[in-house]
Amino acid sequence: MTDFIIEHRAALGEKKSSSFMGVKLEVLPEGHVLHALAGSADGDLSGAIRTALGLEALAVRFVTPGQWFIVGDNALSHAELTGLADRLKPMVDIVDQSHGRIRIGLSGEKATAVLAKGTAADLALAAFPVGHATMTLIGHIGAHITRTGENAFELMVLRGFAESLWDELADMCAEFR
Amino acid sequence: MASLVPCPHCGQRPKEEFTVKGAALARPTADASPETWFDYVYLRDNPRGLYDEYWHHTSGCRRWLVVTRDTATHEIEGVRDASAKKEAAE
Repeated sequence: MTDFIIEHRAALGEKKSSSFMGVKLEVLPEGHVLHALAGSADGDLSGAIRTALGLEALAVRFVTPGQWFIVGDNALSHAELTGLADRLKPMVDIVDQSHGRIRIGLSGEKATAVLAKGTAADLALAAFPVGHATMTLIGHIGAHITRTGENAFELMVLRGFAESLWDELADMCAEFR
Repeated sequence: MASLVPCPHCGQRPKEEFTVKGAALARPTADASPETWFDYVYLRDNPRGLYDEYWHHTSGCRRWLVVTRDTATHEIEGVRDASAKKEAAE
């Protein structure tokens, strides 16, 4: 039997962060993405999760009632992950999505204009303030959008769609080249 | 078909993000007659005007919603989470 050495390849390994006129497309580190699921859809536990783990505001993002993504740039070891899950145990259950979801950064004064080409979600600052997050379609690809700044977004997409979404975003940025 | 659906969790979204399941009917009791169950499973009224439909926000929050839609004008009268509907009926 042949022994295979498993080689980790970044989903966007062949892509380079690119700057256009007024918009920047960034490959973000494949750190950790944890899906936190509460037993009930009622109530907002994001504040309690942040307090329990001592996280900053943008690290815990709304997905759907009773579900959040816990996001960070550093990879977690198995021990760190179980420790973290234990600390959240009575409140939410954790599913590790670190290898399943890829983050892409989109920033700059034209970022909203670029994103608006692909999604029907209302991106106006009043309707989509900093820290707000939502699941939507970008073209035909399901993606999770978080506003990380007035002119900055983070997109999270299933790993297999990351390259397609990246190419679509690059096309959407093309007019600002 | 209505093209913008005001999801109670996500705001206005296009219909492409949703999957329509069909009329939201009151489920008969388990011991109801076969005729009642046949009616519930197969027979539909096809009304002109307002009626309740189950919509799933497949590409958004993935919640089941009850959309009250006018079949003549395509206007949406109201959208609520399906779990909220159950509480209201009790």
